[in-house]
Formats: sequence, C-alpha cells, structure tokens
Amino acid sequence: MIASVLLQQTDGLRAQAEIFNEIFSVFLGLGTLIGIIVVSYMLWNAYKYRDDGSEPKESFDPPVLGELPTGKGGPKAKKLFLSFGLSAIVVISLVVYAYGLLLVVEEGPEAPGVESADMEVEVVGYQFGWEFQYPNGVTTQNTLYVPEDSAIELRVTSRDVWHTFGVPDLRIKSDSIPGQYSETWFTTEGGLDAGEEQTYEIECFELCGSGHSYMNGEIVVMDDTEFNDWYDEQAAALEEENDSGAASGNATATGNATAEGEA
Amino acid sequence: MSELPPKTSVRRWLVTTNHKDVGILYTVTALFFLIMGGMLALLIRLQMWEPGAQVLSGIAYNEAVTTHGLIMVFWFLSPFGFGFANYFVPLQIGADDLAFPRLNALSYWMFALSGILMGISYFQGGTLSTGWTMYAPLNVPMYTPSLGSTGAILALAMFVIGITASTVNFLTTIHHSRAEGMGLMDMPLFTWSMLATVYMMLFAFAALLAVALILLSDRILGSIYFSATEGGALLWGHLFWFFGHPEVYIVFFPALGVMLELFQSFSGNRLVGRKWVIIAICLISIQSFLVWTHHMFLTTINLEVKTLMMATSIGISLPFDLVVFSLIYTLIKGRIRFTTPFLFAFGALLLFILGGITGVFLGAIVLDYEFRGTYWVVAHFHYVMFGGATALFGGAYYWFPKMSGKMYDEFLGKVHFVVFFIGFNAVYFSMFLAWETPRRVFDYDPAFQSMHRFGTIGAFVLGLSFFIMFYNFAKSYVSGPDAPDNPWEYTRTAEWAVPSPPPLENWGGRPSYASGKLEFVSEALTTPDDDHDGPAAATDGGHGEDHIESYPYWDKHASHASIWPFALSLATGIFFFGLSGVASSFDITTAETLAGTGITVSNPVYPIFTAIGLVGLIWTAVKWGLEDFYAPPMEIAERWPFEGVEKVKLGMWFFLASDVIVFGAFISAAVFIRVAAGWYTWEPLTDSLPGLINTFVLLTSSFTVILALVYARRKSRAGLIANLVATMLLGFTFLSIKLWEWHHEIYDVGVTLTQNSHGDPVQATIYYVTTGLHGIHVVIGLLIAGFLLVRAWNGAYQEDSRPVEYFGLYWHFVDIVWVILFPLFYLF
Repeated sequence: MIASVLLQQTDGLRAQAEIFNEIFSVFLGLGTLIGIIVVSYMLWNAYKYRDDGSEPKESFDPPVLGELPTGKGGPKAKKLFLSFGLSAIVVISLVVYAYGLLLVVEEGPEAPGVESADMEVEVVGYQFGWEFQYPNGVTTQNTLYVPEDSAIELRVTSRDVWHTFGVPDLRIKSDSIPGQYSETWFTTEGGLDAGEEQTYEIECFELCGSGHSYMNGEIVVMDDTEFNDWYDEQAAALEEENDSGAASGNATATGNATAEGEA
Repeated sequence: MSELPPKTSVRRWLVTTNHKDVGILYTVTALFFLIMGGMLALLIRLQMWEPGAQVLSGIAYNEAVTTHGLIMVFWFLSPFGFGFANYFVPLQIGADDLAFPRLNALSYWMFALSGILMGISYFQGGTLSTGWTMYAPLNVPMYTPSLGSTGAILALAMFVIGITASTVNFLTTIHHSRAEGMGLMDMPLFTWSMLATVYMMLFAFAALLAVALILLSDRILGSIYFSATEGGALLWGHLFWFFGHPEVYIVFFPALGVMLELFQSFSGNRLVGRKWVIIAICLISIQSFLVWTHHMFLTTINLEVKTLMMATSIGISLPFDLVVFSLIYTLIKGRIRFTTPFLFAFGALLLFILGGITGVFLGAIVLDYEFRGTYWVVAHFHYVMFGGATALFGGAYYWFPKMSGKMYDEFLGKVHFVVFFIGFNAVYFSMFLAWETPRRVFDYDPAFQSMHRFGTIGAFVLGLSFFIMFYNFAKSYVSGPDAPDNPWEYTRTAEWAVPSPPPLENWGGRPSYASGKLEFVSEALTTPDDDHDGPAAATDGGHGEDHIESYPYWDKHASHASIWPFALSLATGIFFFGLSGVASSFDITTAETLAGTGITVSNPVYPIFTAIGLVGLIWTAVKWGLEDFYAPPMEIAERWPFEGVEKVKLGMWFFLASDVIVFGAFISAAVFIRVAAGWYTWEPLTDSLPGLINTFVLLTSSFTVILALVYARRKSRAGLIANLVATMLLGFTFLSIKLWEWHHEIYDVGVTLTQNSHGDPVQATIYYVTTGLHGIHVVIGLLIAGFLLVRAWNGAYQEDSRPVEYFGLYWHFVDIVWVILFPLFYLF
C-alpha cells in the first residue's frame, strides 16, 4: 500500500477517474471481505447457539431479573480486544492509504514534476445551467469545449444558490457555492482524429430548485486544431460584440432614463 | 391540580403527565408520522419508476424529498425511540416518573403539534423544497418564497423547543432519580444509550435551534445572513452539520440501546466487555461533534482540516467496531431464541454492519468526492438510520406486552420481519448498485432503470410489511392473551419486575439495589396511596430528611394531570402558524423618522393568529406557573456526580448549557462572516458609550438579583420586592437605551437590518439579530421577574426562595452573554 502511494507521486499526473477506481476497488474488496467474514461468523454463531430445547449446559449462567448488571469477562473479552485491535489496524492503514491518494488529487496539475494546467476555466452555476468562462473572456452556456491531451483546471462558483458541478465519467466533482471558489481538475486524452469529438455529461449533484433534475451539461473534447479554430473564432466574435455592445449599452441606458422620466 | 381521568377518556390523554402515558402517546404519534413519511417515500419511488417520470412536478418532487427526510428524521425516528425512553428509562432506573412531568408532556405536545404545523405547511402555497439539509441560500425567500417554506422551518423550530425541554428532563432524571444502589455504571444499557443520546441532543439541537432562528430571522424579518456572499452559504453548512452529524448517532443510539438489551435477553448471556461498550458509547458521543466537515469535503475547506476530519470520521468506526463485536460475542454459548423482537434486533445489526462498512468509504475524501450527492449516500444512511430503527421495531415487539398488557401474535410478528427484511434490502441495496444516480434527481440515466424499478417494488413490499405490524398490534390489543409480568426468560431490568402494564406510580415499595439486586423496600413514605397521614415515615435513616424539610408540601400526593402543557403548546402552535405568514401580511413603508413610517396590513389573518398565539402563550405560561403541581424529588436516590444539587437547579443548569450553545452559534456566525468578509475591514457600527452604559446597567442588575435572593432567604418581603423592582427597572433601562440606540442607528445614521451606510450590509444584519436575540432574552427575563414580583407581593417565596435563585441563574447568564457581545459589537 505504502509503496503504491510513493509510486504515484513520481509517475506524473493520474486522472482522478483512475485514482478513484483504484481506491474504490481496494475499499470494495476489503469491505466485502470483512463484511462476509463478520456476517457469516455472526450467522454461524447465531445458528450454533440457538435454543433447541435441549438441557442447558452446566456452564450456562443466565442473568436473573433485578440483578445489577455486570459485564462478562474471560476469554470472550480477550477475543473482543483482539478483534478490536485487528479492526484498528485495518482502519488506520486505510486512513494513511487514503491520505496518500488525497494529496495527489488535491495537488492536481500543480504537483511538482507535472507541467502546469493547459487551461483554466471558471465555472459559474446558476438556476438551472452552467456558464463557462474561458481565459480569453469567451463564455459558453452548458457546454464546455476543451482541447485533447491537456490538463484543465476548473474554478467553480455560483451566481445564485448552492449547486454541485459533477462529471460522473471523469470522476470529478466540485461544490458550486456563491461567494466561494472551489477547484478541481481533469485531463483529456489525446489521439482524436480531426472532426472527432468526445463528450462527457455534466450533472448537478446538489438540490438547487425545481429544475435540478434537468440541470445537465456537456464537456466536449475536440481535436487540437479544431479547438484552436473555435477558440479564436469565439474570441473574435466576442470582440465584435463588445464594440457594438458598448453602443447598444448606451442606448439601453438612455432608454431607461426616458422610461423613468415618463413614469 | 386536577385528577387523572381513566384511560378510556379522551381528556386523560390531553392532561396526562405520567411518563408511561406520554410514552404511549409518543410511540403512537411517531408511528403515525411513519405512515406520513412512508407515503412520501412511495411517491418518490413512483417517480423513480422511469427516468423523467412526472408523477410529481419538479417542485412537488423536491417538496416530497424534503418533507420525507424531515418527517422521518425528526418526527418519526427520534420520537419513536423517545416513546420507549419515556416509558422505560424511569422504570429501568427505579424512578417514579421523569423529573419534570409537566415539562415532559410539554415536549410531547410540542412534537405532536409541530408535526401538524408541518402538515399545514403543504397548504400554505407549497412546503419547503430544499431537501432536508436546507442548504443556503436556496432556503431564503428569494428562492423559496412560499409561506409553507417558512411554516415548515417554524415547525422544525417548535419541534426543537420540545426536544430541548425533553433533553433537560431526561438528563435531570437520569442524574437525579436513580434508585438507591444504582450507580451510573450500573444502569441498563438502554438507559445508558439514552443518556448518551440526550447529552448529544442537548448540544446538537441547540445548534439546530440557533441556525433555525437565524434562518427564520432571514425569512420573517428579512435579515440577510444566508444570502450573504461573505460565507453565508458555508455558514449554513457548518452550523447545520455541526448539528447534523451528531444527529445521525442521536437517532441511532436509542436503537443501539434496544439491540444491547435484546441481545442479552434473548441469548441468556451478559454483555461481553460491558464497561468498554459504555466507554465506546461515550467516546462516540464526544467524537460525533468532531467529524462534521466530512459532509463538506467538496467545499473550500482547507486540506489540513479535511485530513483531520477524515481521520476522525474513519476513526469513529473503531468504537462502533467494539460495540458490534461485543454484540456478536454476547451470542456465543448462549441459548438464542429467535422470537420476533430478537429477529428485528439481529436484523438491525446485520443492516448496521453493511451501513457501517459503506460509511467508511464515505470517510475517505477521494471516494467521498465521487459519492457526494449520489445514491451511495442515500443507501448508506438508510442502512444506518433506518437499519437502526429496525431494532426499534424489535423494541416495539419486546415491550408491547409490558405497555399493553397483551401478548402479540408471534407468527404474524415473524412474517412481518421476513417481509420487512426482504423489502428493506430490495429497496436500499438496489441503491448501492445504482449509486451513480445523482441524489434527488428523477431524470436519471436510463442505464439504472431496472435497478430503480426493483427498488420501487421493494419499497412497496417494505411499506406493506408495516400493515402486518399494525394489524398484529391492534388485534392483540383487543383480543390477545394477557401478558405475564415477565414474558421473556432472561430479562434483567426492573420493568419486568412490575405488572404488565405497570400501575400509575410504578412500584409497590421503594425500589432499591443497595443489596446488589433489586428489592422493594416497604416504607410508608414511598406508598402515598396507602398512607396519607404519616410524618413518621420521614425517619428512614437520615438520608432524605433535609429534602423533606425543604418541601413544605412533603406529605402531598404526586400530581399526574395538567392541561397546561397542552395549552401552552397549542398557543405556541398558533403563534408559529401566525408567524409563518406575518411577513407577507405587512407592508412597511420606510420614512425619515419613526413617526412617518407607515404600516399597511394587506391580510389580517396571520397577524391575528400571531397576536392570539402570543397572548395565549403568556397566559398559559402564567397559569402553568401558578398551578399547584406536585412532582416530588425522590428522597433516596443515587445522584452522582450531582449529589448536592437540587432537582430544578440541575435542570436549570442543563438548560443554560444548551443556551450557551445557542448564543455560541450566533457569536460563531458573527465571527465566521466577519472573517470571510475580512476582519479588519469592519469597524464597530455604533458608538461604544451606550453599550458601555448598558454593560454597567446589566452588571448592577445582576447584583440586585443576588440581593433579592438574600432578602428572600431572610424572609424579608419588602427587601425581596424592592430588589425585584430594582432589577426590573435596570432591565427596562437597558432595553430603553437599546431601543434609543436602534432608533438612532436607523433614522440618524442609516443602518437598518439590510442597509449599512458605512459598509457591508451583512454587518448590520448581524448586529441587529444578535443583539436582538439577547434583547428577547432580557424581555423574557423581565416577564419572569414580573411574575415573581406579583407573587412576592402576595407573600410568596418566604418559605421557599428557590424560584428567585433559579431566576437569578438565568439573569446572570443573560448578563454574561452581554459581556461577550459588548466587545464584539462595540469595541472591535
């Protein structure tokens, strides 16, 4: 276990999905094993010591009504401490093991020895959708476009109520809280052909109002050149919009003033 | 004091304060709420029949999800356990009743009527739709504007008031009324579990009360705590989960207590490692307050805190491991009888083991990141909480003969268990298999449809199984065979040593464990039924004499009936119902001065209810205070570690301990938001001089309250009256300065609840709400002082000055709070 922790720190950036799968299989395997042992032991003893109507053994010393309770010591108590000790060892090793993997997830693309994130996107949740703000000022609604073979960092916040941004297939999740920025990251695989796209579904994981069930989105992974084209195109469109937007913004302001004057 | 009517009379159930009657009321009412919550669960499951089904609209689905959670957690699980606790804790420790019988009835009625308010909230434009966790800021009126949302939170607040009364009562009872010879470590384990439960409740529910009050202030008065971007949403998370995690153990521990009893009773063995199990239970109770951020691993909490909480969260499984192993080893070499109660307790342990193991997964942060907000969480907590409740049904079968005097039908009981166990695992295990479905979402991935369908069928099987139980209990109650005193072979605890059902005052003689086992000591003193005239009884070895001296009515018969708990709860219910709509009935037009401020009432209904409720509240409280209700403390009892403390004083201390948490939560909220906003960016809103004067005024009033007590002890009526008047005058001075200050801030400076001309509006909100809560405490103190004054005028408290002393405790506490608020709001 310890060895695998050490390995992960040196072997570059592992996807959160990969880390999750590892730790989940460890916990599931161990949990199932312990569960089966404890439950079968319990069932077996319950069956073995059932009251079958036979004469009780001489050693059987049942409590009597009205006695002040005393515990039972002896070999059973020794067994109790032995089992407790064993479970303590399992639990403590699980904490240490989980902590090692936690560090990997927490550091993400900022970990030493890994090149820094290729792109940082701000995610703003709202009732009921997701807005993505790219470094160049471009924003998209409900669809996050990212290039292949890169590490993406997300800074997640909210405009209204508490949401939780999650992408089940990438095994990433982050709370989207007004006034707070929480961070998560993911990596995309390379090797997409031109025109090929890979999509992942985004879902909201915190009850946020009547449209919560339908608050879905998509991550679209694009071929590198295609992404760059799209990105530049959007930036250009944005610039154009801003120029005319300034003018129309003035117009709106005037309009309001007039309206107020009339009122 | 009135006489207790017979059980066939409806009036009996309205006026009874006897712990066994109240226990039955709790149990039956909780089962009613089980049906209500269960119906909502079935609606949810129908909606999950296929992705995007529209049995309910989006908002109605959210309401169903929310109220299912709230009703099951608050109005079913805890009260069901408390039904048994009410009935059996006094019997197990050898007490005649709970320490404060009227308070106990009050707790019940607060619980029952708050549940009705919860039901009414559905018809106030739709109830709360935020999920039972009520995350901010979805819980503020901007996002959930319906009156019913406010109504539901008021119902919750009312429930918590009842819980607070109940915790004070149980803590005082267990610490003050144990039979002679029964040390704390000698208590039966069900009572031990309840003791741990009520200790956790005392502190956890105080935090919930505080957070509910802040939310109600946001919803009714319009303050802006939880909509503040300066950490408002996170503040909710912290305060709610500080309550919320202990709450998991609070609902589980009564069930654990039942398991611990039943494993012994049906295996014929004593518990293995009993002492260590008790230590584990205490450890869990403490540790439960140190794990709450594992519900918030995905927020912006820093890594150090998260790691610490991961260690404590996974670590809390260790004491549980010990308890589970102890239960299993107790079975070994026993003679296990698989009767219905044991089947349920045994099944509960199986379910709890599964719930516990899957809970360790959630403690590991990396796994929690993925499980957060999914059906893994839903499945896990149903296995733990409802799996635990399985043992409570075992308890219901175990104690049914004692409570009803009839035996239940064993065959039907076993059928119930089998159907229940199959249905339970069908619905909740399928959730583990479909865990990737986001929680509270009905438009889910079609890949999981077959699993969810399977779960829905299981849910109906599970629901059906309860009708077998209801039929069994109803039929047995009407025509079952009479139950013997002790229908089970290897029981140990005292409830089995009295008739089924036990007589009104429980015991034939005074129960005592002084010789190491239960004996009933016949003394005239403890059988007032037979003996109304014997002061001779007071000579029982010197123990109780001091107490008897201090009770002028020592030879009176204990009271068992009072209508005022019901009346006071009803008034509270009416008041809270009015409050739910009061905000939308007024329209306040602000102006430059107070005189120019206009109020238009658009809808008088809610304000009228509020007024009637408030008047009723004060009237019933006064009647309560004046009622001649006699609940004598036990003359001979084990009281460690509170030997020298009188009963009511002990209760007062427990109450003040919970109030410390309420104020602690308000002060933490103020500090938390200020830190989030940047501590040094805020300056005090107000001049420090009025605050300083008020500090001196309140400190002086603490002194006059002490003088009042001194004069009462000297039997000086004039001195007592003079000092009560002085205390009240100082209290009024404090309030007047406070009101002047508020008026000045609002009309001269321009700082209102939501506006701050100097800076951050949330700072103004915090100032008004926190000092306002303190002001309400002062007003309540003045009302009590006025009550004492009128009675002192009529010559009371000359013989018994203790009410003055207890009022003094409260008043000092209110003063101390001010000493903390003063620097927080006026100096820094």
